Amino acid sequence: MKRVALFAALAAGMMGMSAPASAHHSFAMFEPTKTLTFKGTIKSFQWTNPHVIVWVMVQPDGAGAAQEWSLETTSPGVLTRSGWTRMSLKPGDKVSVTLSPLRDGSHGGSLNSVTLLDTGQKLVPSFGKEMPGLK
Amino acid sequence: MWAARANDWQRPLGLRYSLGMKTIIMRIAAAALLLCLRPLAPAALAADADNIAPATAADWQALAKLPDWSGVWTPVISDQVAQEKTNRPPWKPQVTRQIEHMYAEEDAGRPFPIIDHCFPTGMPSWMLITHNAFEILFTPGRVTILGEGDGNRLRRIYTDGRPHPADPDPSFHGHSVGHWEGDTLVVDTVGLLPQAYLAVNEAVGVPNNGDMHIVERLHLQGPDTLLDELQITAGKVLSKPWNTTRKYYRQRARKFDILEGVCEQGSYTEAVDANGNAIFAPVKFHNGVPVGSDSK
Repeated sequence: MKRVALFAALAAGMMGMSAPASAHHSFAMFEPTKTLTFKGTIKSFQWTNPHVIVWVMVQPDGAGAAQEWSLETTSPGVLTRSGWTRMSLKPGDKVSVTLSPLRDGSHGGSLNSVTLLDTGQKLVPSFGKEMPGLK
Repeated sequence: MWAARANDWQRPLGLRYSLGMKTIIMRIAAAALLLCLRPLAPAALAADADNIAPATAADWQALAKLPDWSGVWTPVISDQVAQEKTNRPPWKPQVTRQIEHMYAEEDAGRPFPIIDHCFPTGMPSWMLITHNAFEILFTPGRVTILGEGDGNRLRRIYTDGRPHPADPDPSFHGHSVGHWEGDTLVVDTVGLLPQAYLAVNEAVGVPNNGDMHIVERLHLQGPDTLLDELQITAGKVLSKPWNTTRKYYRQRARKFDILEGVCEQGSYTEAVDANGNAIFAPVKFHNGVPVGSDSK
């Protein structure tokens, strides 16, 4: 038990580290059963591995100062196969986003979908069924 | 007899010079004969222990007899998830405690940061838990697996008949030698870093702690399904060798072409400095994930 306690302490210590930044990670820190929908404005579209990040300014309560949220999703490779490009979202685009938020209340989430309000185009970060020979 | 002669050369130096003149002449003749025969010998890239022979036209033509593994292979993640439940590694008791703790932490939304460092996922975890695609290249004497995801995700599998080095420098992907048994590529991997994870998902796994040995049998299970049958021996963390399999589906659409993937790039966003230079600016992270700059 002592070893487990030590291990837990080490793990907790690692989780608490703010630096170095860690780009690749499991998505278990997001709350999968919770879905939020916000309207907002794209601040930037970070087309990077291992995770693409949609930076969006939102007003979660529909009023007050805009908050900057990071909405993480899969990789450029998977998004390309799902019909996205690095130009799919541009700064200033008005969007509606659905996300599973971080459990700790920080301004971040896992992106479920983004809809461009001007065109109605809905982008989903998945290339569909698991099967060979996808088109 | 030849083996006995070869052993002669391993005698202490003083004894070598005690060889008779007749023996020396026979050796020179044998060496000359070997040199003459070499161009006629069957294509064999491992010409000697120190050098790779030039690839011949015959070597390139021989590749045509191998199975067609072209295209891009995407992991069957649903199968990964299913096998995680049905075929768990035979962890040693002290490891089981760690694993159970990790599952509890994952369930609580505090995933253990197995892959967060941006090091290569390494072997065998790459084959076991990846969500990213890879491609497989055949060249004379080599099979190369190139992945997408963490910047240095590649496996060099030497199929030229060479053995493992006696004491390979430990690495994330280890030292791999392979040979073909029909349409099955058999790969033997040693020389892995003790820190390389033996992971069952992106938040559950342990470092192998040394002496890990992986044998894989890769073959097509169907026209567009590649099966990797793995046997993982990791005596520091497993009570016995673990047999498992992973599946990958073939994609041929160009949109599946492998893209560059530099893991660390995800920790930065594009910006412009005071001189107008395009730079990467660090992203704010909290508990392992990027968050809005106005987050606490």
